[in-house]
Amino acid sequence: MKRKYVNIVVKQVVLAVLALIWLVPIIWLVVTSFSAYNGRNTSTFFPSEWSLTQYEKLLTGADTVANFPAWFMNTLIIAIATCVISTLFVLMVAYAFACMDFRGSKGLQNLSVIVNLFPGVLSMIAVYFVLKSVGLTNSHLGLILVYSGSSGLGYLIAKGFFGTVPKALQEAAKLDGASEARCFLQVVLPMSRPIIVYTIISSFLVPWMDFVYAKMILNAGVSSQWTVAIGLYNMLDKSLINTYFGQFCAGGVLISIPISILYIIMQKFYVEGVTGGAVKG
Amino acid sequence: MSKIKKLLALVMALAMVLSLAACGGSDSSSDTSTDDTTTTEDSTADTEEAADTEEAEDATEETSGDATASGDVISLTVWGAEEDQTLLAELVEGFKEAYADYATFDIQIGVESESTAKDTILTDIEAAADVFAFADDQLADLVNAGALQSFDALNDALVAYTGKSVEDIEAANGAGSVAAATMNDTLYAFPMGGGNNYFLYYDSSVLSEEDVASWDSLLAAAEAAGKQVGMTLSSGWYNASFFIGAGFTTSLNDDGTTSIDWNGTSSLGYTGVDVVKSMLNIASNSAFMAIADGDISNQIASGSLCAAVSGTWDAEAAQAAFGDGYAATKLPTFTCAGDQVQQGCYSGFKLIGVNAYSQNAGSEYLTNEESQTARFEARQLAPTNTNAAANEAVSANIAIAASSAQDVYGVVQSVGGKFWDPTATFGEMIAQQTLDVNDDDAIQAALDELVVGVTAAVD
Amino acid sequence: MNKLKSGVSAVGRFFGDFGHAVADGDIFVKLSLVWFGAGYLGRKQYIKAIIMTALEALIIAYTVLVGIPYISDFGTLGTVQQESVFNPVTMQNEFNDYDNSFMILLFSVITLVVWAFTIYIWMYNVKNVYRLQKDQEHGKHVNNFREDLNDYINQKFYIVLLALPIAGVVIFTVVPLIIMIFVAFTNYDQNHMPPSALFDWVGLDNFINLFGGGGMTVSFGYAFIRVLGWTLVWSFFATLTTYFGGILMALLVNGKTTMWKPMWRVLFMITIAVPQFVSLLLVRNFFADNGIMNTILQNIGLTGFLQDIGLISSNYIPFLTAPGWAHVMIIIINIWIGVPYQMLIANGVLMNIPSEQLESAAIDGANSWQTFWNITMPYVFSVTGPALVTDFVKNINNFNVIYLLTSNFYTTTNQAMANSQAKETDLLVTWLFTLTQDYYNYKMAATIGIVIFVICAVFTLVAFNRVVARTGEGDFA
Repeated sequence: MKRKYVNIVVKQVVLAVLALIWLVPIIWLVVTSFSAYNGRNTSTFFPSEWSLTQYEKLLTGADTVANFPAWFMNTLIIAIATCVISTLFVLMVAYAFACMDFRGSKGLQNLSVIVNLFPGVLSMIAVYFVLKSVGLTNSHLGLILVYSGSSGLGYLIAKGFFGTVPKALQEAAKLDGASEARCFLQVVLPMSRPIIVYTIISSFLVPWMDFVYAKMILNAGVSSQWTVAIGLYNMLDKSLINTYFGQFCAGGVLISIPISILYIIMQKFYVEGVTGGAVKG
Repeated sequence: MSKIKKLLALVMALAMVLSLAACGGSDSSSDTSTDDTTTTEDSTADTEEAADTEEAEDATEETSGDATASGDVISLTVWGAEEDQTLLAELVEGFKEAYADYATFDIQIGVESESTAKDTILTDIEAAADVFAFADDQLADLVNAGALQSFDALNDALVAYTGKSVEDIEAANGAGSVAAATMNDTLYAFPMGGGNNYFLYYDSSVLSEEDVASWDSLLAAAEAAGKQVGMTLSSGWYNASFFIGAGFTTSLNDDGTTSIDWNGTSSLGYTGVDVVKSMLNIASNSAFMAIADGDISNQIASGSLCAAVSGTWDAEAAQAAFGDGYAATKLPTFTCAGDQVQQGCYSGFKLIGVNAYSQNAGSEYLTNEESQTARFEARQLAPTNTNAAANEAVSANIAIAASSAQDVYGVVQSVGGKFWDPTATFGEMIAQQTLDVNDDDAIQAALDELVVGVTAAVD
Repeated sequence: MNKLKSGVSAVGRFFGDFGHAVADGDIFVKLSLVWFGAGYLGRKQYIKAIIMTALEALIIAYTVLVGIPYISDFGTLGTVQQESVFNPVTMQNEFNDYDNSFMILLFSVITLVVWAFTIYIWMYNVKNVYRLQKDQEHGKHVNNFREDLNDYINQKFYIVLLALPIAGVVIFTVVPLIIMIFVAFTNYDQNHMPPSALFDWVGLDNFINLFGGGGMTVSFGYAFIRVLGWTLVWSFFATLTTYFGGILMALLVNGKTTMWKPMWRVLFMITIAVPQFVSLLLVRNFFADNGIMNTILQNIGLTGFLQDIGLISSNYIPFLTAPGWAHVMIIIINIWIGVPYQMLIANGVLMNIPSEQLESAAIDGANSWQTFWNITMPYVFSVTGPALVTDFVKNINNFNVIYLLTSNFYTTTNQAMANSQAKETDLLVTWLFTLTQDYYNYKMAATIGIVIFVICAVFTLVAFNRVVARTGEGDFA
């Protein structure tokens, strides 16, 4: 009995140590964001002087380097639009491949696997010129299209989940005279809440994370048009890092909080969705 | 009217250096100019302006009947560095006022650091700003890509609008800065700010003037004080200073490749191996701190240094760190093959160019005397305009004075894009002591490899 | 193999049906070879006839106005070099009617895609019309337009579902990819940048350069072998460490005796919730040569100790700036980033382990290690084995971790690498990115991209055949 008790304690201690290791950089992010010093603090872990000035500057002192409120709104708008289009695309493709039987289905799925094997950064420049030929570079719409245009390729997890929706239900609905479309909207979708939530959140997060495409497409150098990711990334430019590192940390904390909450919500659905979906392929 | 835009960009560049571009109608046969600079039609100009604009048109001997000035809005995009943004905004306001007679302006200011301007511009020239600032080492690549408007071609128009000719501008600026903006005997940009070199900041409460005269005494004094001397070695811009001092050269060829002689014997009779040995000796001193490129400001601020090699942009950081002891001077001498050799430097210039694809040129305003002085006050950049440089407030500044003192030993940095990676690696090898100071053959081999990399064809 | 065969036979059937339709079709079917709408007109399906005719007109208009002018230059990628003359009157550079090689390539590819689509529609249409003819001959009901539309929410619903997503993928992924594949066979680089210069076809020169056969002074071959080697090493370790780390962590967090399970899970998840460009850029400053980690280690004397035993020569630990150190650190930092993610997946899988197996193991007196190795792992592996393969491919292309940790931060001391714009920590994909962003060397970047694809494709094929065969999972695709 005593041994078991020790065992439990050891386990909690191991977890606590691991959690600490995992959180040290995050703690550093948070404490640095509350530092009065603008640059990188390299002598002590905790700031020598605590202050809210980084947040204050970030949120109120919009200049050409730091324009966080504008970035946040831009990213939010882009994220919502991306999320709507991507979610629709993913669910549509997943349903077609999972629940419908048609000639060419296998071939298209194999093609999508092949396309996914090419490195994405390879075609950036070509994507840019495709957008340019329709005059959408340097616009949020262009960025939305880039984020959501190819989202149909990410159908695998949702397809796996749809595959677990009992076929009998769908057939019963069809016997009752429901069309395929009705079956999709009123039978399969309502039973797929976990995967829908998962798809919505994961596509919503894309614009908050990407700094490569955003930088390439929003190339007019007007910082009020940027997304959060480019803006914060730019703060660590060699010539700026010593003035803006504190604000970078503050910005990092500010966007991490909502994203963390979304992740925690998503986690539940993700586990449900994935156990039904991805791992079954 | 439409003509004015490019000229305005030029006058604007000239005004930033002198920048004004006439917004030409799309009458050129295959005009692929940017969509994002199309003139908006919301007319705000009144009739007075219309009359004035007609005068302007007369001045440029307008004959094409494509536009009447009234109500036209000229859209210009200007790119400058982050730290110049506030200043740019002021300059743009001044510019709008000064040229309000010609047109109404819709000027957008974008952020694009001078050092990375080329990357963004070459990706898509047509989408780049009408007027942009860039560092002079990018000139060859930009010209070869056809991104820069020749100012010589705009001379007549410039005279008509601003009363200044290209010669006037050239005369008003230092010869070095004009040379840095010239390629194939054509002026492609206006010098915006010079003094882009590096020198020695030091703490005069720790180091005496004699101490900072040579690396040997500098490092000895620093060690005695328990402090360090910092310099970036892993960047060709900095580590070239030793080679330049010993009489080695680099030059930029018209095809964008670089010529370099560091693996041979210099005009002063030193070999490249001698120089590398000197560098290795300095780098192996425990009082020397090799600092990563871009990290120098942070190191100065951290307080472990008593001297550091950097440029005017770190004046504030150095002043804060050294307090009353804040001082700056030219770079020290170093021991090379038994002699004391003065360390040289690259002098870089910030230039303002006009996009060749712009429908609207004009950058003079941004670089004229008034704005150079304003830039100096905002950013402590040494002005290139000779009048401005004579201004007492400028020369009184410790950093600028040191920069000028060092400038005597500086050479215009004429290198192409393939210079940077191999020299950065070479500097890092010295910083990390991967070369043995006694192994002449290995050092020579490393220098040969460096030359191969730097002189490689552009591809 | 079977897949291939069935694919071939499906294509064969498609063409066979088409030939059959052309041979046996009546006048309307034959007419619809030229006029898409003819067949429908013949069956009095006027709306369909109008739609198909309009589509055909659109395609013809595109072909004549855009397609042919561009595709006729496809063989040369343009011949008219840009020349500009400054016009002092308009204050503009006036350009001649120059060719832009990239635009020629772009629109040629788009045109080829449009034509491929057209051929498919053309054949599909003829077959469709022939079927209508048959239906009519056999006295079957011929659909009216409303009934046709109705088909699209029933057995043809997949067309409605797939049309837009596929269009998106074609425009934003397939067309750009085809363009870049073509670029690998051109000399598109800084000396040949449109619009001011042209680029041209060069055959296999770029591949020869990459594999070290070129007469270039700077050979990419040397750098390529090293970058490729590290790419594979990295993918191997990154995949395995996070995979097993994730399972172990999930077991630890989900263990019967673990208290506060949700709290631990959330704590570990925070690292993946912070965007990578924040967390990784932060970590790299954390581990900088003069960063906070080095300061701490100096203060507690570890740095001095390492110096004494000769492990480091500098007075700091070059976590991310020296080869070896940087390689190990990158993999460790990737564990930090990747394990919580794998933990999430493993969580789900572990919950689904058939409990009767675990119970019977417990009854047999197996200890927890035996249970883990004999029951848990085989089960987890059977479920996530295929994912392991996709993870490996993902890591080959793991741009973020390497780029954010090393770009502008790690300076190589290997001169031959530096001369090819590579460094020891580069993956093929980050090298490719540097080549395009800083050196406009699109031709070599595209060549490397194709090599990456081939590696990934070969690995996927081999691995899937093995893993899938072993785990008995069906077709993963």
